[in-house]
Amino acid sequence: MKELSEVNLPEDVRYTKDHEWARPKGEAFQIGITDFAQDQLGDIVFVELPETGDRFESGDEFGTVESVKAVSELFMPMGGEVVAINEALEDSPELVNTAPYTDGWMLEIKVGDPAAYDQLMDRAAYLDMLKGLEE
Amino acid sequence: MTSLKTSLHAWHTGHGARMGLFGGYDMPLWYASAKDEHLAVLNHAGIFDTSHMAVVLVEGPGALDLLQFCFTNDLTACLGPRKASLRPGRAVYGAFLDAQGHVVDDAIVFMLAADAFMVVVNAGMGPAVAAHLVQHGGAYAARVTDLSGQVGKMDVQGPMAARMLYDVLAEPETVFDAMPYFSFKGGFTDAIPSWGAVVTRQGVPLLLSRTGYTGEFGFELFAGPEQIVALWEAIVAAGASLGAVPCGLAARDSLRAGAGLPLSHQDIGAWPFCRHPWPFALPYRPGTQEFSKPFLGDTALQTCQGPYTYPFIGRDLRKVTLPAEVLDASGRSIGDVLTCVTDMAVGRHEGRVFSIRSPDRPKDFRGGGLCCGFVRVADPLPLDAPLALKDKRRRIDVRIVKDIRPDRTARQPIHTLLQPKEE
Repeated sequence: MKELSEVNLPEDVRYTKDHEWARPKGEAFQIGITDFAQDQLGDIVFVELPETGDRFESGDEFGTVESVKAVSELFMPMGGEVVAINEALEDSPELVNTAPYTDGWMLEIKVGDPAAYDQLMDRAAYLDMLKGLEE
Repeated sequence: MTSLKTSLHAWHTGHGARMGLFGGYDMPLWYASAKDEHLAVLNHAGIFDTSHMAVVLVEGPGALDLLQFCFTNDLTACLGPRKASLRPGRAVYGAFLDAQGHVVDDAIVFMLAADAFMVVVNAGMGPAVAAHLVQHGGAYAARVTDLSGQVGKMDVQGPMAARMLYDVLAEPETVFDAMPYFSFKGGFTDAIPSWGAVVTRQGVPLLLSRTGYTGEFGFELFAGPEQIVALWEAIVAAGASLGAVPCGLAARDSLRAGAGLPLSHQDIGAWPFCRHPWPFALPYRPGTQEFSKPFLGDTALQTCQGPYTYPFIGRDLRKVTLPAEVLDASGRSIGDVLTCVTDMAVGRHEGRVFSIRSPDRPKDFRGGGLCCGFVRVADPLPLDAPLALKDKRRRIDVRIVKDIRPDRTARQPIHTLLQPKEE
């Protein structure tokens, strides 16, 4: 298990309390789970994602990540429409473990209200939250 | 509440294990990867800290009779197809029941001498099982001693296990000679008659047993708790070049489920110990439904109308999370899910389930994983019955099976696994 000092928390994404991240990509946003979340879950053996065109509100469950022992929900950081899913995860779900912020991305969404992004936690705020969880 | 720690606790945390509470102990769930650990036990070997398990000694002229009354298996008729009597150096699986036929705990009974038995039970269960034996064994001249926390234990499981121990033991050829499945040699204290028969090159006396709970070839090692860290490190070192890795309880759970073995207090528990896929734990006379001896709980089992417990396999590796219910083909709720995990070493090819070690597996077979476990239902079900398992989130299709992970190696003779492998 990683110490908090070892958890990779890039500056160029925003974070949620459910351990998802979002990053602007052109007109859309890319979504995934954080390094902290993948480390907690352990080996991810299956990722269940929605289909392009599906619409979700902020906080909605959009899919699941499955480890050998457990199944965990994925929650939308912002409301919007799914415009792309990471099809590589079907054959290589371990990308979520090995590259959670890059090759292990899950969705691209088109957001109704892009200002919602600014409401998410920045690195410092998320790290503070993680420190709180450790205590 | 403070959790208990095994002698290896500092080793686990020092090696990056993700820890979790099990049976009152803070135990490793996995180190780097539960999936890789599970696969290592099939391909190479896994090394498990099992010092959280408890040892209870039953000794005295009435020890056999006490266990005959309290243990489900018939110690005078349990070895092999001919049901020979247990003898010193042999062990047998069974359970302790209450008068209602409900499970107090499951156990392996090791016969140390005509009047001495070592009973190995689950984490935290030493006091409860010892109290149960004292409570129901008052009529027998036997002494019951709970050795919880006083015995160190680790398991080495997988095809490389014998080669690893070969490097660690002082006289491996002698030790491995005539050592079939469910036999043991040596002892961890000089109170055990076979003490001294198994000693490491470092001079540590062990009780070495051809048992385990993964379904794969391997051993359980019992030693003094103060010896376990050095023993563990010697075995980890011996296994490093053979692909062996330390494993946590997550891999142990997925391996045992795939091997069709129950987890006490989850797959067996406070309901009658019958109508389940473990008839070898009950003293059936061969070819009959009659018991070969009377024992505590027997009447309740003979009149038991269920529930029925069955192994299942899913369509792919997707699982449900407990609590989850079992639905029949018409969608009616007929029971609950006891265990649901993914065995990453199995997969389907043209309708048949293979393991990554099946001798006749298709070329380039990679397994991929299948969901599996046990369901408990009110009424009997035929083999291959289609069911759905439903939790709060999803519904998955499964079928009742006789067995889960095929071609397991637990019973393979030692000498076949001492030679370097072809690969």
